[in-house]
Amino acid sequence: MLEIKNLHAVVEGEELEILKGVNLTVNKGEIHAIMGPNGSGKSTLSKVVSGHPEYEVTEGSILFEGEDITEMDADERAHLGLFLAFQYPVEVPGITNKTLLREAYNTIARANEREELDPLEFEDYLVSKLDVIEMKDEFLNRSINTGFSGGEKKKNEIFQMAVLNPRLSFLDETDSGLDIDALKIVSDGVNKIANQDNAIVMITHYQRLLNYIKPDFVHVMMNGKIVKSGDISLAEELEANGYDQMQKELA
Amino acid sequence: MVNVADKQSLKSFVDTSSAEIKYFESLREEAKKLLEIRPFPTKRDEEWRFTDLKSISNGYFKPIIKDQLDTALNLDEYHLPEAKKSRLVFINGHYSQGHSCIEGLPDGVIVDTITNNENHPKVKEYLAKITNYTDDVFVPLNDLSFNDGTFIYVPKEVEIEQPIHILNVFTNMEVAYFATPRVLFVGEMYSKATIIEEHVGLAQNQYLNIPVNEFRLYSGAHVHHARIQRDSKQATHISRPIAMLDAHAEYHSYTICLGAKLFRNEPRVIQNAAEVDFTVDGLVLIDGDQIADTHSIMDHRYSYGNSHQLHKVVVNDQAHSIFNGKIFVAKDAQKIDSFQENRNLLISDDAKVNTKPQLEIFADDVRCSHGATIGQLQDEEVFYLQSRGLTEQKSRELLVYAFALESVESMAVKSVEELLLREVIAYTNRD
Repeated sequence: MLEIKNLHAVVEGEELEILKGVNLTVNKGEIHAIMGPNGSGKSTLSKVVSGHPEYEVTEGSILFEGEDITEMDADERAHLGLFLAFQYPVEVPGITNKTLLREAYNTIARANEREELDPLEFEDYLVSKLDVIEMKDEFLNRSINTGFSGGEKKKNEIFQMAVLNPRLSFLDETDSGLDIDALKIVSDGVNKIANQDNAIVMITHYQRLLNYIKPDFVHVMMNGKIVKSGDISLAEELEANGYDQMQKELA
Repeated sequence: MVNVADKQSLKSFVDTSSAEIKYFESLREEAKKLLEIRPFPTKRDEEWRFTDLKSISNGYFKPIIKDQLDTALNLDEYHLPEAKKSRLVFINGHYSQGHSCIEGLPDGVIVDTITNNENHPKVKEYLAKITNYTDDVFVPLNDLSFNDGTFIYVPKEVEIEQPIHILNVFTNMEVAYFATPRVLFVGEMYSKATIIEEHVGLAQNQYLNIPVNEFRLYSGAHVHHARIQRDSKQATHISRPIAMLDAHAEYHSYTICLGAKLFRNEPRVIQNAAEVDFTVDGLVLIDGDQIADTHSIMDHRYSYGNSHQLHKVVVNDQAHSIFNGKIFVAKDAQKIDSFQENRNLLISDDAKVNTKPQLEIFADDVRCSHGATIGQLQDEEVFYLQSRGLTEQKSRELLVYAFALESVESMAVKSVEELLLREVIAYTNRD
């Protein structure tokens, strides 16, 4: 589904490389976790894959379903089925969740020559997805993330994911700032969405999230590269020994 | 023809002004005198630093006489369904009876021309009584030249349910002309009315539009006043809307600026007794080489007054927005609660904004807050929407739309809200 080959990236207009040759393959039905210390480049990876204009790919490629998306705009990637759950979801006063999601859903439907939903159909569809994150329907008419608590913002990201039904989702530090109850709701939501036809890549600093969403693969990212891959035991090892220990072993 | 620049005064303007009117002779005489001694403002005047009137002071503007008007003009598309039978129409500053419709208003209400009510006691009492802007030439110009005008009188405790639509349209006359629309509104105690004042350019021609409004609200009177400026983008529009409020009166005005090459608006609200509540909000959407300049005064002369001013501006291309918001609080005017905010959104590299809050507070127990922000669309906001599948263009449009929406929702009349939504979408979609 996703094939990242020798990916190098810089902040647009700067020289310093943040990604220094990332390789990663994700197949459908899989859940991956990318772990790493602060500044290792893991959040940058999720932004580069979703097409953030702040970054420039200087070498390597990103293939999605066999198609090279390295130079595509973010919206085109979304049309193909990519989704990024933001670490810091953006507040957009004046546009309701519902407005954004209908516009997004129908734009993606048009791009894929699927049927658009009229406002009434869409309302029913939206309400049917509220259960995924245990949200009340008044939530739909609130301005996007405006005045939301940290937990509500993260729930909203997962709600958007449920509505847009992407093929591949990057969850960027979705666990950060969540108390244990919110973490359970968010994780439950992700588990409900995950199936044999889609794939999920979680970016996280801590092992905590992985107690609730079980990854098939765990990768450790350091200094702009994936330095080690394995299964859940790798996360447990990190939790026990820390990133410093691993860095020493690798050196 | 009129050459305003002569001798830096308005003498020639005066000499050739339309004043064919036989009404209000003393007012016209007084105006003439003022115009002879008051100079035309230039950029050397502090209040006109950013707004150059050369285009009109060097220009020629011809008065229009009523016989020249096209009475067969079809204006159906400008009608508001809510104001089907409460509409006054003015073409190039002249009342057009055929286009107007006033029917079924409550007893005692007057919605008519000023000249038809020349001897009404309230006209005699209030016409040109609260419009004394210092050193100003535009009110005297209007005093001298207005034709017909609008007179609205709402008796004590009468509520007019339907909005009153004052529709000023401007046609292409193949010469540059000037028009001086005038409104006198008198709301008696605990009366209530909604006024939609609209200025529409039917073509992209040059004209000079100088409207003056006087709103006199007695105790407890309540007025919602929406002003929609959709003049030709070649026009100059210089507005003097003024309101004076007695105790417990409420006056809420919302000015929407979409058209005119040069728009200068000087709203002023005077608190004439304790305990009033007023709003002077604005929304400006400009592009090309438009200039929109708002110089407002919220004049608190007595205690316990609430005032609210949210002035929102979106500037594209090389357009230029100017805001100067004065809040006056007199020495004994305690417990004033005044809020002022000017929010500017620049969506091109060459767009320009000057903003200046100006608080002159002589009382010691007041709460006056003010703020001004100038910003661009945040890349992170655009990316967020784009990552959800919206095109970059659509994302930017939606963000500008969201910025303007709050003002649109204040209109209180459904068809006006819809009209403005269409205008906002047209503004953001224009490429």
